[in-house]
Amino acid sequence: MWSERARKFLALGLTVALVATLGLSGCARDETEEPDDTGATETIKIGVHTSLTGGLADYGFAAAEALKIAAEDLSGFEVDGVTYDIELVIKDDKGEPAEAPIVAQQLVDEGVVAVIGTLTSGAANAALPIYQAAGIPMISGSATAPDLTEQGFENFFRTCLRDDIQGAALGEWALELGAEKVVVMDDRGDYAVALANEVEEAVDAGGGEVLRQEGQEGEVDFSAQVSNISAFGPDVVIFTGYHREAGLLFKQLTEAGVEAQFMGGDGIKSDLIGEGAGGAENVEGALCTFGGFAQEGMPGFEEFAAKFRDATGEEVGPYAENNYDALGAVVAAMESAGSTDSADIISALFEVEFDGVMGTLAFDEKGDVSVPGGGSGTELVPRFEYTGGTWVYMP
Amino acid sequence: MANPFSRVGEVFGRVPRWVYVAAALVFAIVFPMLESYGLMQTLWLRLGTRTLVYVLLAVGLNLVLGETGLLHLGYVAFFAVGAYSTAILSSPRFDLQWNFWLIMVIAMLLAMLFGFIVGIPSLRLRGDYLAIVTLAFGEIVRMTLNNWEWLTNGPGGIPGIYPPVIFGWVVDQPAEFFYLLLVVVVIVVALVSNIKNSRIGRAWNALREDEIASHHSGVRPTQAKMLAVVMSSGIAGLAGAIFAYYQQFINPTYFLFMQSVIVVCMVVLGGMGSIPGAVLGAVALDATPEIIRQTFTTWLPRAVGSDFLPAVQAALQTDFDRYRMLIFGLVIVLMVIFRPEGLLPNQLWRREVHEEDPREIEHTRQHLFDFEEGRQDLEV
Amino acid sequence: MTLEHIFGLTVSGLTVGMIYALIALGYTMVYGVLQLINFAHGEVFTIGGYIAASTLIWIGVDATTPLAVKFAYFGLALLVSLVLTATLGFLIERIAYRPLRNRSRIIALLSAIGTSIFLQNLLVIVFGPQPIIMPTAVVPTGFVEIFGARIRVLQITIIVVSLLLMALLTWIVKGTRMGKAMRATSQDREAAEMMGIETNLTISFTFVVGSALAAIGGFLVAMYYGSLQFNTGFLYGLKAFTAAVLGGIGNIPGAVVGSLVLGLAENWGVGLNLGVLAWLFVGGLLLGLYFQLVRAPRFRIDHIAEEFRTPAYERRVRDVYRFAPVVALKTLFAERTDALLYVSAQHAVRLTAANVILLGLAVLFFVNGDVQFASKWQHVISFAVLMAILMFRPSGILGEHIQEKV
Repeated sequence: MWSERARKFLALGLTVALVATLGLSGCARDETEEPDDTGATETIKIGVHTSLTGGLADYGFAAAEALKIAAEDLSGFEVDGVTYDIELVIKDDKGEPAEAPIVAQQLVDEGVVAVIGTLTSGAANAALPIYQAAGIPMISGSATAPDLTEQGFENFFRTCLRDDIQGAALGEWALELGAEKVVVMDDRGDYAVALANEVEEAVDAGGGEVLRQEGQEGEVDFSAQVSNISAFGPDVVIFTGYHREAGLLFKQLTEAGVEAQFMGGDGIKSDLIGEGAGGAENVEGALCTFGGFAQEGMPGFEEFAAKFRDATGEEVGPYAENNYDALGAVVAAMESAGSTDSADIISALFEVEFDGVMGTLAFDEKGDVSVPGGGSGTELVPRFEYTGGTWVYMP
Repeated sequence: MANPFSRVGEVFGRVPRWVYVAAALVFAIVFPMLESYGLMQTLWLRLGTRTLVYVLLAVGLNLVLGETGLLHLGYVAFFAVGAYSTAILSSPRFDLQWNFWLIMVIAMLLAMLFGFIVGIPSLRLRGDYLAIVTLAFGEIVRMTLNNWEWLTNGPGGIPGIYPPVIFGWVVDQPAEFFYLLLVVVVIVVALVSNIKNSRIGRAWNALREDEIASHHSGVRPTQAKMLAVVMSSGIAGLAGAIFAYYQQFINPTYFLFMQSVIVVCMVVLGGMGSIPGAVLGAVALDATPEIIRQTFTTWLPRAVGSDFLPAVQAALQTDFDRYRMLIFGLVIVLMVIFRPEGLLPNQLWRREVHEEDPREIEHTRQHLFDFEEGRQDLEV
Repeated sequence: MTLEHIFGLTVSGLTVGMIYALIALGYTMVYGVLQLINFAHGEVFTIGGYIAASTLIWIGVDATTPLAVKFAYFGLALLVSLVLTATLGFLIERIAYRPLRNRSRIIALLSAIGTSIFLQNLLVIVFGPQPIIMPTAVVPTGFVEIFGARIRVLQITIIVVSLLLMALLTWIVKGTRMGKAMRATSQDREAAEMMGIETNLTISFTFVVGSALAAIGGFLVAMYYGSLQFNTGFLYGLKAFTAAVLGGIGNIPGAVVGSLVLGLAENWGVGLNLGVLAWLFVGGLLLGLYFQLVRAPRFRIDHIAEEFRTPAYERRVRDVYRFAPVVALKTLFAERTDALLYVSAQHAVRLTAANVILLGLAVLFFVNGDVQFASKWQHVISFAVLMAILMFRPSGILGEHIQEKV
């Protein structure tokens, strides 16, 4: 009797699934058959693959808002006699690599010609095969892992600095401060570990003594690490993870009586670090680098910042201008290629040189942004100091 | 039976079982074709492929949780072992591209070995210790994958996994992966159903119902349990190996504890000890949330206008995962309290959990009169 | 490897061990009474900490608040948290566990896991995914220097408060009527019921007490480390359970001992050179050899009935232990062995394996004496401890205190 009921459930489920799939796929097909020969203005779909929820929601928010501004600014460009308006298709992958392929497939199904994203390197690695197979260019404003452009994917570009440049800059800075004993600590996340490895290498190469420590992301108890650090007696403590753990770690170090200069990568560049440390005074004077470019000296930054403030009522978030320029690069590539075809955009992106908020940008043969004004890299990494509850640019 | 569904149930129940199996198979075979004829978005094919991976995991875990009655909370660790076998042996990481069949065998054997290792300390102990040991083992595996940078590239993961080549056929399209997984699922389900009805399967069920009684009837508990754990580990390793090929990139965040819980939830929902139940549980829990999300965030707004229930849309977009896991937790609690036999129950398990119900005892007398009557206690 | 480093690690280990103990007591009491792993206990701990911390933040304590008022506020926050968390513990038992009391253990455990997942995600939906942070102005930051190591007043407070709570708990269990009812219920629920003990009430009481202890633990973590996150309880719960198993589940002093051992193992493990840690294995090896050569054979011989206790037989038992694995294996594979020798031989082989592993580890550690475990292996160490203890002594350090009904 019960297996009868079981069969009933199975049959019902299958019928419903079949009907639903057929019906829904019908909807999907209707969607793609929009007639659009109405005039000289057409809409072009650009995908935004970012993380609006999860641990990096504030980064994703900044990226999405910057791109909305960019879409408004850049709409109305002309390719081959047709004026195009940009329609952004914004999707959220929560910063999880497991979710990224699904989001990527959704964007591909939507028929976007290019994608701005992803926010994190892990998601980029997971999504790249799908964009690659669909031949869609992908331009990230914040995926900094070096291996992304080392694997030979021709459709990946980025408008931010790689971890190896930032890591080297962070290590060099610590040595510049006269540090001999340096603690390098990560949070076992992909971004922090990659950066910490680069920092360690740079400090080692510069003749500093390194103690490597590791915490876990989301952890609150750093007591073993604090004991080790305080026994080591460092001049500088560099934490490459994010601001929550950084705040807690610096607080616990202060309480344990460690008197060292606290430093970090761009993960700690959030004003919330003061709150996380239980009070801004615990992290006063901390230093950090950033994976974007110095905002001072950017030709279009003031204008962009004003627009960002108008749109959101907040200061410009991390990597906002990098995302803005990522869309700028796509538009410039379409204009220069005279085509809105994804394959043409990819080949044009390698050629194009365009003026964005951050200056005149171009991409090298790997897809990394070649830095405005040339140069080897580390001197371009901007430096900040935490004073009075906010990060202040150090020229 | 005062159940309003009972008449419908009777009608459906008259249809022989093979019809349902055939219908499910036909549906699964037709499903990717919808995509290739442009009737369905590729997204659904990807989601379907993911569901098949979960089906494989649920069927594998069912051997331990359902058939043998052992709670295994680190199942995803064996999945990870399989996935990393593929990722290491078929990617630019060490510049290797081993044969597909060889990798499948290695992944399964390695996962089985790990199952054996985790079985040694835990199977001699009370059942609930196994839950904690497997949980700890799952975390050890994940953290080791995250920390052992020389082998696994740590949290950065292993990108660029080469597609499998099976007799010269390069599997790299979503539809091809779907069929590959479907074949594997069918083989595994066929094997598992045979084992389930064999001597070993009956030994497992006996252990689940009363370990001491079965021990005295000649079942060797540790060996039988070990066999279940090792076999299910092998299935997870197989699933992981194919999953890594399919994703082309893996890192340790794919193998969080929550994944194990999700698979447990699938088995509990579908019905412990029932293979159709495991399949149904996987399909229901993996596909339904996605269908709900797409309905409210994509299709309905498209059909009705984008201002359709903005609050629901916003909630689904931001907190979807939280609510999903919240409901999964609730599903487990409610199922074990109110319907522990699951949606598609297995006869024996059902009897076991509803023994106090006189109607059921009557039912049991009618249908399974060869079992001793009036067995009361389940507590051990 | 300076002395103050070792001392600092030890105090950190004891502090975190005491916090584990507060949680582990909840696990062990519930296990003792119901033979159920209360998987949701870790979440109860987090929720307790969240409630206390957010009450404090809501009241708005700052650095200028006089000390007496501050303490009153602490007390108030703790009281609110205790009441709410104890209610939560009561409800969990009532809703998720009581309907399943006569079902198989795995069913109840499944329900516990479902409850845990539910509570964790409920916490995120209510409080948001961001962690709750204690402003340092609220927390006492004083410290004293002992042996050159800086020990925080809060660390001492945590140790003292935990010890007091444990004394209180011991008194409740050993010295009150309710404690007697708890012990009776844990021995045999049906018999206890027949003797007129309200077992339902007793079980509820156990949950309430366990949850209250966990809430205090949560509050202390928020104060000491400065932050709590929605998933903090998962790891703490798992570690505390490990500690309970380590000490012998169902055994209250065992939970405390296990927690301290685990806390120390975690801190020493990633803080000390392998050369120093090797001495611990040497100690373990000596203990293991004592067990294998002296204690275990004596224990076995004491169990031989008077009329069979011939000197020859005693020597055979001793030889099985002393000359394991050779004699033990021979006994295991012999065609005719008596049961006692067979069991002894199994035991001897296990003990020998453990001792060989200890010896191997000690040698390995001495050889690599200057190296240190990277701190990334910290959690792996505690889980490895769990697997090791279950492999070699599943009843834990002090043994289990539960009655197995079979």
